[in-house]
Amino acid sequence: MTTTESRPANPGRHPGLAGRPGRRPRFNSAYLFIAPSVILIAVFIAEPILQTGWMSLHDWTIGEATHKFVGLANYTALYHDSRFWNALRVTVVYTVFVSLGQVLLGLAVASRLRKTTWYSSLLRTAYFFPFIASLIVVGIIWKFLLDPQVGLVDAWLTDLGISPPNWLQSPSLALPTVIVVGIWKNAGFAMIVLLAGMQQVPAFLYEAATIDGAGAWKRFRHVTLPALRPALLFTTLIATITGLQLFDLVYAMTGGGPIFHTESVVMYLYEKGFVEFQMGYASAISWVLFVIILAISAVQLRVSRYRDVD
Amino acid sequence: MPFSHRRAAAALAAVSAAALLAAGCGSAGSGGGTSSGGVVHLSMLTGFTGPDEPSYQALIKEFNATHPKIQVTMTVEPWATVGLKLPTSWATGQGPDLATPSSDPGSIFNYIKTNSALALDPAVGTGANQIDSAAFPSSVKSAFTVGGKLYAVPANLATLALYYNKDMFTKAGITGPPATEAEFIADAKKLTLSSGGKVSQYGLSLADNNTIQMWPILEWMSGGNIIGSNNCASISDPASVAALTQWRQLVSQDHISPIGQSGADADTLFASRKAAMEINGPWAAAGYRSAGINLGIAEVPVGSAGPVTLASTVPLMIERTTPHPVQAEQFLAWYTSKTAQTKFSQISGFPPARTDLGSAVASNPTVSVFASALPYARLYLAGQPNATQIDTDVYVPLIQEITRGANVQSSADSAAKQINALTGCKSG
Repeated sequence: MTTTESRPANPGRHPGLAGRPGRRPRFNSAYLFIAPSVILIAVFIAEPILQTGWMSLHDWTIGEATHKFVGLANYTALYHDSRFWNALRVTVVYTVFVSLGQVLLGLAVASRLRKTTWYSSLLRTAYFFPFIASLIVVGIIWKFLLDPQVGLVDAWLTDLGISPPNWLQSPSLALPTVIVVGIWKNAGFAMIVLLAGMQQVPAFLYEAATIDGAGAWKRFRHVTLPALRPALLFTTLIATITGLQLFDLVYAMTGGGPIFHTESVVMYLYEKGFVEFQMGYASAISWVLFVIILAISAVQLRVSRYRDVD
Repeated sequence: MPFSHRRAAAALAAVSAAALLAAGCGSAGSGGGTSSGGVVHLSMLTGFTGPDEPSYQALIKEFNATHPKIQVTMTVEPWATVGLKLPTSWATGQGPDLATPSSDPGSIFNYIKTNSALALDPAVGTGANQIDSAAFPSSVKSAFTVGGKLYAVPANLATLALYYNKDMFTKAGITGPPATEAEFIADAKKLTLSSGGKVSQYGLSLADNNTIQMWPILEWMSGGNIIGSNNCASISDPASVAALTQWRQLVSQDHISPIGQSGADADTLFASRKAAMEINGPWAAAGYRSAGINLGIAEVPVGSAGPVTLASTVPLMIERTTPHPVQAEQFLAWYTSKTAQTKFSQISGFPPARTDLGSAVASNPTVSVFASALPYARLYLAGQPNATQIDTDVYVPLIQEITRGANVQSSADSAAKQINALTGCKSG
């Protein structure tokens, strides 16, 4: 006995009426639903990007009535500006080390705190707490902690018989110190994202790996890491984008010093645009940074492309 | 494309365009004077957020009480906020009637360049409602005169003096503040104490960034300078290099002061009794006394080039398109009058911004120290349109480099090249 499935009759639909005028398409309301977001993006993101692009082609000083069109002169000047290249080097070094550091530290902590126990919740909160604090506040607090005269860190080191260095005034130590603070601040975010990813890994995969004789490291390498690839890509991408926009932390901790050793691209942009009022030049800097972030993000997405084999 | 799809896309584009247009239209300005019932209301924006704010408010209150037809309201914001808001608001004619654009007197150049500030010459004179600019210290008048026109009056005027901790001096067996540069150096060394290889007390608290500049005074004491009268750099001249070398050695090898302090760090170091001396302005006195320091204030020691110290003044300007220029000028005339300046000096501890009030403030021991330095006080980078850039991009990095071991002559030569590029110096 065979049965055939028949599609239930749809009294409202006649095959011949599909696509005819008079029937309201569904996508009209969809556009209306996304309109508020599109408007916000257009006004607060798209328009400023285009506006700064326009300003970067002019000798644009805040407050002047007219602005002379100079074409690519700002970009040419930027190419020959050694201070810009120094700022870019500082920014890239910070981004690389903080991204790697926070992801690795976040991964290590997430692995250790994966099992829910009476203390793991407390520790997860403790590790995540720095992430929710404002960057400026974190910078100011760490500046005081590391102060050679009144700081707690130097006081403890002195009590231990260690002569503390001048963390934020040493050209060789200032940037590494800012990097360490950046890792401490952001590792909690990576931990939470990776922890959530780890908890999605089916238990049977670990059971199967154990049966096959895989030890802890092999289970981590061949089960956990592949499953975490999307989460790792996400945290790395966010860390990279955030790192390239470094401003708050160095503004609060070092002001870009000593001798520009911690001056980031955004700090230089701020100096040019809002202290010296050279908005055209600052706009050129912002566009270069925008292109760099776009390129790096595209490369990361490309290199880390993930195919679902299930 | 189906017709309805095209219509939806067109509607979306229209809404987005409308939003962009709406965003592009500025909102109504928040500043600008108003007039009601025959009373003119003037708005004034300043950056006096420190402990001296009440002094300015008291002056405004007195003006309002004595001028019922003109009422001034002073709004206070951090200097960085003033610097962000004022240029665009004045350029669009929607800013406050009066403002102090920055704590840096060189900031007036930007507002003159953008034609945002009112020239005050029509209001200058010795009459009752006129600005008596002849009474301003010559360096101040010169700093605020551009192209032969006066664009600002001094909102305040300060000189730097030597603050010292009397208890530390007594403990070190030093009977009084240093009077000469040689005594200054000797005292700084004697007052620098170490314990366990770490400095426990510094002889002097010097700042090199984000501060009212102290290092120029150390150069001027020995005849050095940063920019000469020919608008060319003199930072690499023998006198300047000798002075920088001497003080670099004192800081980095004799450890009389920490390296790399900001102004706030230097103040904190002195206030927390970790430094015996500091060069600072009159605004600091009240805070140090509140910190319980047995405070002494003396004139900056005299070097081989004669008495010298740094003067600091904040420009107070009128918006060019203010609807009430006459009333705004009247306010400036009163603000810089003998009466107002005497009162301000007594309340704030600042010396008066006039050179003809010596006896009126002599009775105040704090004010008299700062006021007595006026005749030989020099403005830092006076008259330089690129003063901010010269300071942050050249001078501060120079001091930071040499105190961290860089060769003084070569660093000064490099700084001189950068300064000349910024000043447009044609020779050297």
